Amino acid sequence: MRVVIDDERCTGNGRCYAVAPELFTDDDRGYGQVIGDGSIDDHRLDLARRAALACPDQAVTVEDR
Amino acid sequence: MRAVDSRTRFRLADLPMAKDRTPGWRTVAGAGEVFQASDGTWVLSSAEAVRFAHRHPDIFSSAAAFSGAGIPIPLIPVAVDPPDHLKYRRVLDPMFAPRVINSIEDDLRAQIRDLVAGFATRGECDAVGELAKLYPTQVFLTLFGLPLADRDQLIEWVETINENSSTGTAEPKPVVVEAAMAMFGYIQRCIDEKRRNLGDDTLSRLLALEGDDAWSDDELLGFAWLITLAGLDTVTGAIGFTMLYLARDADLRRQLVADPALVGPAIEEVLRIEPPAITTPRVTMQDVDVCGVRIPAGSPVMLCLATANRDAERFEHPEDVDIHQADRGHVTFGGGIHRCLGSHLARREIRLVVEEFHKQIPEYEVAAGFEPEVVWPSATLHLASLPLVFPVSGAVS
Repeated sequence: MRVVIDDERCTGNGRCYAVAPELFTDDDRGYGQVIGDGSIDDHRLDLARRAALACPDQAVTVEDR
Repeated sequence: MRAVDSRTRFRLADLPMAKDRTPGWRTVAGAGEVFQASDGTWVLSSAEAVRFAHRHPDIFSSAAAFSGAGIPIPLIPVAVDPPDHLKYRRVLDPMFAPRVINSIEDDLRAQIRDLVAGFATRGECDAVGELAKLYPTQVFLTLFGLPLADRDQLIEWVETINENSSTGTAEPKPVVVEAAMAMFGYIQRCIDEKRRNLGDDTLSRLLALEGDDAWSDDELLGFAWLITLAGLDTVTGAIGFTMLYLARDADLRRQLVADPALVGPAIEEVLRIEPPAITTPRVTMQDVDVCGVRIPAGSPVMLCLATANRDAERFEHPEDVDIHQADRGHVTFGGGIHRCLGSHLARREIRLVVEEFHKQIPEYEVAAGFEPEVVWPSATLHLASLPLVFPVSGAVS
């Protein structure tokens, strides 16, 4: 499993790194960036899903692979 | 010819909003996800409909919605559509990013500490007049490298313009023209002075842009105009609502004092329940189907952010502040390419207010018998006043 930010949809709301700072960080425009390759283990799945839900532009997704 | 009868007999201004917004928003949502109001405006009320419009800025034009605003300068960046819009946001987004705000946070924190200290020993305050109205303008002046001494004059102009401007197409009142001319003059003088003496602030960084990136005076004026008229009273509204909900909910307030990590979620929930910018305007550039309803090209559209935030599909307790649902997403700052440029700044301002207020005044409540009301009808919502009472620390009881 991994988290992904769709750059086409992201408009810099900044909710992902506010909700899940373990998984995302901000860049110099205030846009979210996935930390590392975005891989998540089971105990962070809930956090990743919350970050996805929090995004007003639905730019964050949890991929099942 | 469309039958007028098919329109919903509905005018936003007729809704009873002053004391409690919940019945009004139920009326709007109850009229349908997508419906046409009596004046011809199409209203998008559900989260799905609003998000659809956010995702299709080419169909739902912001530029067309703001072109008739009677302002002879471009309201940058909200009155600009793609592709030019991106050019402006590429420049502006980094100037309003959390990292920039981090660099001035100590200053902003000291300013709110001083404002709170001004009334902390008095046992009562007006959280709107003495705090929510003052702080956003101070933050704007700080960010733009302008004297804090300009605060009260700037607030007076903005209030005069916002409170006397109808959302219709009527001729502006003389007091509005007078205040607008004075504020235009003020902003132009700020630009001229800053150009002669560049500093380490947002206005200086815009003035320092060169070549193809350089902004004209009209562009600078339009941007400053938009920020002052849309970015100050909205934060005033958000701070006022936050203090109101915390003053009324002692349990929540005490949780926040005990665990500051909960301040963020509490702020998000109040932002969701009480968005200061309740609607945003668009105009359709083509026929479009939204949630199964056909909206013709050239129609004025209102995205109702307030009802989208209370969508029962998304929230277990849509009409209540519940910090356990704070991560479920709201559109108080809009969404898509026109996402509020100042959203990071606004969130930081509210957080600093709550943190510094609670350090000096952890226990407080709304003055007995006072019923808080928002100014209504109005394009944006803010409480007219919010008298709070509290024990004075160190006082002999």
